[in-house]
Amino acid sequence: MRFGIFYELSVPRPFAPGVERTVYENALEQVRLADELGFDFVWAVEHHFLEEYSHCSAPELFLTACAMQTKRIRVGHGAVVCVPQMNHPIRIAERAAVLDILSGGRLEFGTARSSTWSELAGFEIDPDTTKQTWDETIRALPKMWTQERFSWQGTSFSSPERAILPKPVQKPHPPLWVTVTSPGTELDAADRGIGCLGVAAASFKEQERRTAEYHRRLQSCSPIGAVNDQVATLNFLYCHEDPAEAARTGLGMLGTFTQLNTQLLFTREAYPTRAYGSLANLAPAPARREGSPSDPTGVPEGMAIGDPDRIVRAIKEWESIGVDGVNFLLNAVEVIPQEKVLASLRLFAREVLPKFRGKGA
Amino acid sequence: MLTGTAELESFARGAPKLASFEGEAVTLPGMELLQVTYELGGVAPESPFPPALLPTLPVLAVLSVWRADSGPLGRFALAQLRLSCRSGARPRQLLVASFAEGDTARAALNERFAFGARKASVRLERFYDRVEGEVTVDGTSVLDVTALGPLPLAASDLQFFSSIHRADTPKGLRLVQIDTELTVTRGERAEPRMTHFSPAAFGMPKAKLAYPVAAFVALGDLTIPKVRFVSRADVLPHRGTERVS
Repeated sequence: MRFGIFYELSVPRPFAPGVERTVYENALEQVRLADELGFDFVWAVEHHFLEEYSHCSAPELFLTACAMQTKRIRVGHGAVVCVPQMNHPIRIAERAAVLDILSGGRLEFGTARSSTWSELAGFEIDPDTTKQTWDETIRALPKMWTQERFSWQGTSFSSPERAILPKPVQKPHPPLWVTVTSPGTELDAADRGIGCLGVAAASFKEQERRTAEYHRRLQSCSPIGAVNDQVATLNFLYCHEDPAEAARTGLGMLGTFTQLNTQLLFTREAYPTRAYGSLANLAPAPARREGSPSDPTGVPEGMAIGDPDRIVRAIKEWESIGVDGVNFLLNAVEVIPQEKVLASLRLFAREVLPKFRGKGA
Repeated sequence: MLTGTAELESFARGAPKLASFEGEAVTLPGMELLQVTYELGGVAPESPFPPALLPTLPVLAVLSVWRADSGPLGRFALAQLRLSCRSGARPRQLLVASFAEGDTARAALNERFAFGARKASVRLERFYDRVEGEVTVDGTSVLDVTALGPLPLAASDLQFFSSIHRADTPKGLRLVQIDTELTVTRGERAEPRMTHFSPAAFGMPKAKLAYPVAAFVALGDLTIPKVRFVSRADVLPHRGTERVS
């Protein structure tokens, strides 16, 4: 089992001077600590225009800062929007290679197509085309990273023969992932031999079904590059020795995040299309999930909120259904003071993390 | 976190009267529907909503025209402007203004569901390559819109959200949840083309239709169930919602 921290970089209103800088500096301090404590990944999303929810529009810059301030933790684009109007495929390949070089071969490369109307319309992107352009881009990327010279004649972009430079450190290329929000994307991942980066909540039962189906289908995949067969889920982390305090603070974060999530305008709500099969919320909506009847704290099933024992039990459950990694959101619009976030990370590393080491981590 | 900032007194002003929550449900078979959506501009996103509601970002201005050629309310046509929002986590559309042609239907919709529809001439007409919607009040056009080039979609690809109607009820000012259900038998997406829109006539003089989103046209059965939930306008719905039937 591997553990990551995951950033939307949500910023509280009012957007006073300096507040975004504080959010970024707090995140970087958390990343440095996570690196020292033995966390495996730091992931950062790419979002545009999503007021409060995410001010992380240039994750490659944030992740470069992370890489330069750490020694071991892997840096994850979680994920790059693979739609040419937002990111030209060649620029994606170039930036990723530079980040892999600067991080000393620590890049994990997530891909996505964006699911909000705000973002797609902001770049005048036709929602009907994003799946196709994502598919074309991710098939081109490994070629750009591995071929001395690359040319492409496609639907969403074309290029005469050119040397795409520099090349990544990792050979043949950094591990590829796709963010999974809508049911069915795990099948797209399996067909292409890339990892599943879960960014929306699923019940244990649903996650088990998806993971099993992913691994079954992966056996007959046509890889677009080096196969990455990992499945990771998204969770919230607040670890405290006092279960009541953990629940109070952790549920506050959960509720805040859920409220932020509700103000997003999803593509399917605005635009009639078959290209977006569900509302595809970007993150868990824990308020809709019920806590276990035996858990008086009211923390929803599977959430890493509680004392260390509770969190160990939750993660063991995820592990038992085939999940390889759990990525944690640590805060939402800074509702948890920074010192408490850091203390939660330390306690997790001292009491929880050792229970999962020595199992292929 | 943005919540609505409309001042309650002005929000309540002109709210349609809803004398009881016992209005009968109605099903309107074979309804023709044209819906045109734009991003709303010209006003702050939170300003049209009371504190109980949250704006989506951006807010969508959803203009719909309905036409029923027969059915329990007789022949009628209705046009309305709704704004996309959230009630708690749920997607909803706040009714801002509506117009209806057909006195029987207008009276029924106003009395049972607080549409507050004003008398108007409302036209919805289908051509081979387009569907046109038009509203005229006292001889003056307030809406003239076209959905160009309809292309078939599966019924499940269309989203039709429940409405929130403000109303002066026996409990005072309330937001009435109107859980409209549309069973689509034919649905098409089209390109919106706005020829004329009078924001003042729809009660939002500063509003602009800032950016075209989409249009759809549909044929189907539309049901407006009996009112089940109402909520206060001044507090978030988890504190202010009550069941009335």
